[in-house]
Amino acid sequence: MASATASLAPANQRRRSFIYRVLDGIGAEWGEVGGVAVPLGYGRGIETETADARRMGLVELTPLPRTGFKGAGTVDWLKGQGLTIGEPANIAYPQAGGELALKLAMTEIFLIDSLAATGAMIERLNSAWQWAGAAPRPAMGYPVPRRDSHAWFTVTGARAPGMFAKICGVDLRPHKFENRRIAQTSAAKMGAVIVRDDMGGVPAYHVLADMASSEYLWGCLLDAMAEFDGAPVGLAALRRLAGKG
Amino acid sequence: MSAAESQRLPAPAGLLIDRSRRIGFSFEGRRYEGFAGDTIASALIANGHWLLARSFKYRRPRSVLTMAGQDGNTLVQIGAEPNALADRHPIAEGLAVHGQNYDGSLEHDRGAWIEMFGRFMPVGFYYKAFFKPKGSWKYWEKFIRARAGLGKVDLHAHHDYFDKEYLFADVVVIGGGPAGMAAAIEAAKAGGEVILIDENPRLGGSLLYARFDQEGARAAAVARELTAAVAAAKNIRVMTDTTCTGWFADNWLALIGGRRLYKVRAKSVIQAAGSIEQPAVFRNNDVPGVMLGSAAQRLIRLYGIRPGTRAMVMASNADGYAVALDLADAGVEVGGVVDINPQPPQSPLVEAVLRRGIPIMPGHAITEALHSLGKKHVIGAHVERVTGEGTTDGKAARYDCDLICMSVGYTPAAQTLYHAGAKFRYDHASNMYRLEALPAHAFAAGSANGAYDLDAVLAEGRHAGWAAAKDSGGKEGVEPPKPARDQGAKGQTHPWPVFPHPKGKDFVDFDEDLTSKDLKNGIADGYDNPELLKRYSTIGMGPSQGRHSAVANVRFIARETGRDLAAMSVTTQRPPYRPEKFGHMAGRIFDPARRTAMHHRHIEAGARMMVAGAWYRPAFYGTKDQRDQAIREEVLAVRNNVGMIDVSTLGGLDVRGPDAAEFLNRMYTFTYTKLEVGRSRYVLMTDQAGAVVDDGVACRFQDEHFYVTATTGGVDAVYRTMLFWNAQWRLNVDIANVTAAYAGVNIAGPRAREVLEKICQGTDLSPTAFPYLGVREAVVAGIPARLLRVGFVGELGYEIHVPASQGEALWDALVEAGRDAGIRPFGVEAQRCLRLEKGHIIVGQDTDGLTTPFEADMPWAVAKKKPFYVGGRSVAIQNARPMSRKLVGFEITDKSVPVPEECHLVVRGDQLTGRVTSAVMSPTVDKIIGLAYVAPDQSEPGQTFDIRIDGGRMIQGTVVRLPHYDPDGKRQEM
Repeated sequence: MASATASLAPANQRRRSFIYRVLDGIGAEWGEVGGVAVPLGYGRGIETETADARRMGLVELTPLPRTGFKGAGTVDWLKGQGLTIGEPANIAYPQAGGELALKLAMTEIFLIDSLAATGAMIERLNSAWQWAGAAPRPAMGYPVPRRDSHAWFTVTGARAPGMFAKICGVDLRPHKFENRRIAQTSAAKMGAVIVRDDMGGVPAYHVLADMASSEYLWGCLLDAMAEFDGAPVGLAALRRLAGKG
Repeated sequence: MSAAESQRLPAPAGLLIDRSRRIGFSFEGRRYEGFAGDTIASALIANGHWLLARSFKYRRPRSVLTMAGQDGNTLVQIGAEPNALADRHPIAEGLAVHGQNYDGSLEHDRGAWIEMFGRFMPVGFYYKAFFKPKGSWKYWEKFIRARAGLGKVDLHAHHDYFDKEYLFADVVVIGGGPAGMAAAIEAAKAGGEVILIDENPRLGGSLLYARFDQEGARAAAVARELTAAVAAAKNIRVMTDTTCTGWFADNWLALIGGRRLYKVRAKSVIQAAGSIEQPAVFRNNDVPGVMLGSAAQRLIRLYGIRPGTRAMVMASNADGYAVALDLADAGVEVGGVVDINPQPPQSPLVEAVLRRGIPIMPGHAITEALHSLGKKHVIGAHVERVTGEGTTDGKAARYDCDLICMSVGYTPAAQTLYHAGAKFRYDHASNMYRLEALPAHAFAAGSANGAYDLDAVLAEGRHAGWAAAKDSGGKEGVEPPKPARDQGAKGQTHPWPVFPHPKGKDFVDFDEDLTSKDLKNGIADGYDNPELLKRYSTIGMGPSQGRHSAVANVRFIARETGRDLAAMSVTTQRPPYRPEKFGHMAGRIFDPARRTAMHHRHIEAGARMMVAGAWYRPAFYGTKDQRDQAIREEVLAVRNNVGMIDVSTLGGLDVRGPDAAEFLNRMYTFTYTKLEVGRSRYVLMTDQAGAVVDDGVACRFQDEHFYVTATTGGVDAVYRTMLFWNAQWRLNVDIANVTAAYAGVNIAGPRAREVLEKICQGTDLSPTAFPYLGVREAVVAGIPARLLRVGFVGELGYEIHVPASQGEALWDALVEAGRDAGIRPFGVEAQRCLRLEKGHIIVGQDTDGLTTPFEADMPWAVAKKKPFYVGGRSVAIQNARPMSRKLVGFEITDKSVPVPEECHLVVRGDQLTGRVTSAVMSPTVDKIIGLAYVAPDQSEPGQTFDIRIDGGRMIQGTVVRLPHYDPDGKRQEM
């Protein structure tokens, strides 16, 4: 995979990962996905990185689209927009395009895009939500800037639960923490939303946490992964793992 | 035969060693060889070297007592690590081990003379001797400190990698002996997750070293059967070499294994850690070669070591006879079993001893161990006839021997049960503390629970395993037979295995060199409660933490005071059960750090970063020695040209909904219902006591949408407070903390508009279209932005808030747009100076936990006609009372005096009337300016007050009307 062209370099784009310098330092190969620079790989080749992801990989997905809505009327409004959202909270509800609607509370949804990262549904929802001209305004929740409030890392691999056991007090082992379950908890001493989203039969967990702590959390995860030979893995390998690339 | 094999026994003795792997190590600079699996102690003893350590107080030679790491007699120094247990620490190739707590050499300790003065150092002498006359402690302290402590800490030791890990289990079993294994096997049948931990390298517990029958075969057979069943159970996780050091609320267990601290959450816990054998008390019972019977058995069976050539066994139970048989099997000549009791126990083991021709001396006791020169090893024993509890006839018969074994009783290894809140009570039938009550979800089995007969132990284990699994929610299987209370505990423990000697050195606490006389004297001094005697005498405070002395402490007091043991308890058992290294505590410490989107741009621009809460912020741009000049230039750039500062750390809250304005009305001191869309207003928050807790601005972007800023350090508390109150009020409002989602830059200075206009074409930035305190949604450098015309630094300025991931792009665009104007980044230090020139307070610096809005001279921020706001009633009450202090602006025109620092005191005569909260040398007004609390009668402009600065020097400040700069506010409204 070729290195990113100058125009693809994150420093030349408006939207930048908080850790692009760190990723540059470990050989990130940037590719354009949905108009932003995303680390597609780290120079080890997709086969190797996919194998790494099966064992233990850490993927930077922060540049990918996501959004959120919260407040009274949120879920009904989103259902009206065609989303499929069940009753229980702390469950990730898959959408037709592969997006996940994370139900964090009865009136709060955090939407993350599919690995294809077209952003289509998320953009549609963001556009659809508008301040109504006249009161009383229908209850439709309020948008929350989740693409900027939260970093998005994905931890993959059979040994991922062992790594999480070093930074998080929630039992995330697959037989205790079902696929698509959500834990709103503390990881590495900071608030985090952890979502299990297996890919290709391999345990995978999205970690959504304070954007400003991106560099800190990335370092914590890599350090905790070291004993399992964990490694950063690009989006390309993650797509391959998920059978989408 | 090599030196390493000189004391070795043939297999099957030596369960833990691998004779095919020789390992070289050194002790006190001399090279030794052992086998893989040997501990330092076992390898040295195998080589005929017994001396391992010197005692704490008298520097007496010490060696193995328990061979289980339960005592402080084997503490050694390994490189930078002090106080390693030689009887637990494995040898490794090249390992360099040294003794500790000696002057000269371990063999020839120049400090051992102190024992000769032992009678001048009775218990408590420490408290009495060195504090009079007044001031003498300073003289004595250096001598005492030089002798205190054991090993040596290397302050430059390299960092090791320690880690922490959470574990989860349905049932945790502490102890991998017969009871623990039986419990784990039974618990596993319920299908839940079971963790079985043992601090030894192999499962088996006493089955691996003790003798349960005449032939000595049953233990091994039971061990094989149980370990196979454990291995076959897929849902049992075995953790050997792992110690449970604490059992906390809700079954939170601390486990130490290697360099890792495991934090375990278990639904149910079974304590099956067995019991701790107790020593007898007689003269010189600490000399190398005197050890517990179980220690000799461990040396034989675990390490294949013959512990002596001729032994005497002091017994009061059948286990002592088992020890005699084991010694005889190992080729040790047993000179006799000295049984304290008048009759030997009814046991086949006694018959076996007799058949071996080993003499039995019932009704006798060893009263003194005789030793070689320098007390390096035992060479004989004095045996006398017992005439009563702790008394003998004084007619000593000498028996030559190089080994004395003590088998006189046990105490439950119940420390972690105590942590969990279990209750124990002294049982006169068994002469031991026995479990009386367990907390919920806790179970006990085996000798920890008072069972000693092997069949009873196994039955207890099985039942506890079943009960714990059921308690944890596992499927309920067939209940194993409920064991009756084991009667085998009777006769195991002697009530008073103490034979005080007129010449002393009959040790009760080996760690602290405490003898029977010391305890009696302490009790006579009035310390007749176990907790008091512990603190007075230090009994139980050494490395073994009372494992061999806690019960003795209580027995001595009961005996001396005539109290009933059943009404007394041992001293409080606190975690950790075994020492935990600082590394275990420090390993994988999380120290979250928040960085703004522009963080690395600041670094690239040469910023000196400072910590603000969890955030990093640029203090100023320049090197450390350029600090004052850099701040001055940054201030002047804002005043005279244009500057930009990263304000991303400021809190941001979206408050939305039909009741948003009403909500803010209740949360803050001002009013917001009539605030126009597109305008902002200052917000001041008070708590219910009326104290100022935060401030910021409320920006009305929609009729139902306020974007409220908060202080960097206060926003999380403000958010929580808002959620709390909204849960009470149930207003139709939604609150979102969007602090991290927005990056912010404040561009300020007379040329700010000129710079911003270059990259913000779609919005009219003219003063009429976008006046001071206006807010707009705009696009800056192609980035959607919230623009706030605010004036914290007192110049024309715009706060530009953009999505965080585009913050660096905004910064870059402003740098580029301002290049021609000479825009300059400024840091927090310059901002503090600029705001002080304008007389703006910083909540938390210029206010404290009691400051009211009126004390802070901010009545303008308090709405008088509102029916309610949080803290409003308290503010009104306080305002009706005379004020005790007031925040004022001050200046010092004398440039020769130093700038006062925060918290320098304002004094009047002998009264403290206030303190300085902020002060700087202002580049703008060219004098020292600041804010300070003063007495109300000192607060009128023109009045002066005294400030005591460092060194006690007094300087004078003059009260001035605020602000110091641009009093008409024209510059910020340009």
